[in-house]
Amino acid sequence: MMTDPTFDNVFDELVAQNERQQVFLRLLAGLLPGVGLRLLLVDGSTVVAGAALALRPEREKKLLESARKRAGVVALKDGKGGWLYAMELAELEGVLFFVLPNKADLRSHPLGEASVHNGVRLALMMQEQEELHAQKEQFVRQIGMLKQQHGKLIEDNYRQYRLNQEKDKEYAKRLESEISQQTAELREANARLAEISRLKSDFLANMSHELRTPMNAIIGFTELLAETQLTGEQGEYAQTIRQSASSLLSLINDILDLAKIEAGKLELDPQPFDLPEIMKNVAAMFKIPAHAKGVEVFWSFDKRVPAQVWGDGNRLRQILVNLAGNAMKFTERGRIDIVVECIKETEQGVLATFAVRDTGIGIPEARRQAIFEKFTQADGSTTRKYGGTGLGLAICQQLVALMGGEIAVESEVGKGSTFLFTIPLVAAREPVKIAETDGAGKNAAASPVATSILLVEDNIVNQKLASILLSRQGLQVGLAADGVEALAQLKTQEFDLVLMDVQMPNMDGLTATRKIREIEADPAARREYASLRNRETPLRIIGLTAHARREDEQACYESGMNGFLTKPIVKDKLIAALTAVQ
Amino acid sequence: MMTAKDIVKKYSDTKTLPHVAIKVSQLVNDERSTMHDFEEIIKLDPVLVTRLLRLVNSPYFGLVQKVESITKAVVFCGMKQLRNLVAVEALRQMFHGGDEQFSREKLWLHSATVAILAEMIAKRIFGFAAEDIFLAGIVHDIGLVAEDQVAGEALRKAAKAVQQGKGELIQCEQEAIGTDHCEVGVTLARDWKLPDEVLKAIKYHHDSSRKFPLQSITSIIQLAEFMAAKMQYSPVPHAPVPALSESLARHVKNMMANYRVIVRDLPSEMAKARELYQIE
Repeated sequence: MMTDPTFDNVFDELVAQNERQQVFLRLLAGLLPGVGLRLLLVDGSTVVAGAALALRPEREKKLLESARKRAGVVALKDGKGGWLYAMELAELEGVLFFVLPNKADLRSHPLGEASVHNGVRLALMMQEQEELHAQKEQFVRQIGMLKQQHGKLIEDNYRQYRLNQEKDKEYAKRLESEISQQTAELREANARLAEISRLKSDFLANMSHELRTPMNAIIGFTELLAETQLTGEQGEYAQTIRQSASSLLSLINDILDLAKIEAGKLELDPQPFDLPEIMKNVAAMFKIPAHAKGVEVFWSFDKRVPAQVWGDGNRLRQILVNLAGNAMKFTERGRIDIVVECIKETEQGVLATFAVRDTGIGIPEARRQAIFEKFTQADGSTTRKYGGTGLGLAICQQLVALMGGEIAVESEVGKGSTFLFTIPLVAAREPVKIAETDGAGKNAAASPVATSILLVEDNIVNQKLASILLSRQGLQVGLAADGVEALAQLKTQEFDLVLMDVQMPNMDGLTATRKIREIEADPAARREYASLRNRETPLRIIGLTAHARREDEQACYESGMNGFLTKPIVKDKLIAALTAVQ
Repeated sequence: MMTAKDIVKKYSDTKTLPHVAIKVSQLVNDERSTMHDFEEIIKLDPVLVTRLLRLVNSPYFGLVQKVESITKAVVFCGMKQLRNLVAVEALRQMFHGGDEQFSREKLWLHSATVAILAEMIAKRIFGFAAEDIFLAGIVHDIGLVAEDQVAGEALRKAAKAVQQGKGELIQCEQEAIGTDHCEVGVTLARDWKLPDEVLKAIKYHHDSSRKFPLQSITSIIQLAEFMAAKMQYSPVPHAPVPALSESLARHVKNMMANYRVIVRDLPSEMAKARELYQIE
């Protein structure tokens, strides 16, 4: 192994020979004034300092021998009355010869030898001191540097802190602007969607109007036609037209319903209704045609289910009719059961399961999910054999969902199917006055109290149909094509009731109604109107609209109308409405 | 005969400085880099993470609490010291192998000694932070490694000529190879994006004809190079050591006691470096 190199090894060229010893002798000479010094090193070289020191070789030899024999200062007479001294200096690897200016023997003085020793120690220490001093300086510099570094680290960390802060801020800013941009984009997209949705609803409403208006005419006039004197064949044709028109209307209603559901526009209209009455009606609807093909229709009602319930009875009926209609379609013989059962009694009513069970062809398991999809039937071939759009179940499913339930099917191919759904039914507080607006012409006999009616309608066909229907009831009918004409009529003639179309040119029905209500409120103006002047109650006004949307109904009532009737105008509905606003 | 560029090109095809070393070096030079950026890079190298944590937790730092996060470790040891740690780690891989004429292992010992001595001189004599100087010491002879890799035979010829006293190493390299390790080294280090002062030191560490300020990295590396060579820490064994420049010789003479202390303390500093940087 290499020994650690010394300074002298490294900087041999820079270092004078025996430099260390020279420095030492210089220092010692300074400490002992007048001294003559000569250092003999082990390699035989000598270093001198101070006063001149002449030393004869035999004396030197003698002194050297004795100095090596014993520690401390040895002395020898110099032959001139003075003394020559010598001592071994292990630290410097040599023997020091010296003379003093004083002739007296150094050793005769008690402190003489000690002062030489001390001088040597001091010189050695002074020399060493130089290195210690350098060492100390280096420590000081290193400490200073560490302090500097420490300061720099702190500074650096502070800089980092600021940088991070800045970066965070930038990031936050960028994030913020991104978010606000996205928000703006979303808002815009949302507005666009809302606009599209509004356009869609408008389109729906218009379609509803456009479709129902001709249907109104077809059905109405077919009814009128059937009441005239017809041959058997003609009667049959009229009947076929009536049936086809009805199924077309129900298809249109289905499509509109579905569109409304998809637009999220379909809302339930909860009112108290009589549940057994509805079930009876639904069963009755199918009883005769079913019987004709050898199928019996039964209905049963669980007594634990309250008869009077709160809910959308019309929609519930729609569901049951739909399911029963399907059962009819796919059942050739056997029976159809329409059932409601109580599952659980709740605080407000019951949880009830409705089921429509048939003994028809059944549905293969693979198709059971698909039948709830729009425009789908159990399979392609059935579409041909059994008619239908495949919208019914999709609508039922949505309606049941709105009522808080889910529709399910159990089926066995060749044995039959059961469609069932469970919904909460809330008991109605007060007994329901059975609405007589449905059913097979029950209130055809009920005669409306009004005797003279103003029909405001811009569509000539509808005007004609309605006026014929009304005349048939023994009512006097006045005609007006818009709101302006209607007001003019009211001025000159006395009417008990106004049937007011909502959508009309010049002045629409809502405006006209508001006008009438304004006039009624103003005694001076009122006097000028034959229809208003002698009345104790406000003039009854029933709105007529093709728009089946709830907001249209709302608008009618808000304008001051007393009732509301959707087109097409069917005899039963018209009479019911006339009766209802009594 | 080859140029420095030829050698660097050929060498770089076979050996590259690890990505992490270059990236860290760039980060150190970037005013806007943060500890987080360092952490992102260092954490990819598990060996480095271990060394960094060992370094920060060594008695040298004297921290009371154990540091376990990279970010904290970087904060405590400083970016430049971290860079040096990465450099030592990366360069160590390049200093393997060797024979009688030329030994990379000996060159590594030489480089480490120069680095430590230069750092001691900078800190103890001039009192300034010495991270760049340490780096300069570690890489100053990297040109020799490249030459050994690409033109090993020619380099050995040059080394032999030096041993036979036919001239200084760079002269013999020029004759045998067509370039010298200073040129090759600076070309390589430029690719590594080392600081300008370090590049200068690599380029001129054998050039005694030019004058450099006493406190420049180049001067200090020259002095450390001389001392290390004198101590027989040399890649070319038994090569004559060229004399120190006049100004450096005067400086040492004036500060003799100081340099005595440095020579005396070198073994303990080397032991410390061994612990800090895992230099074998």
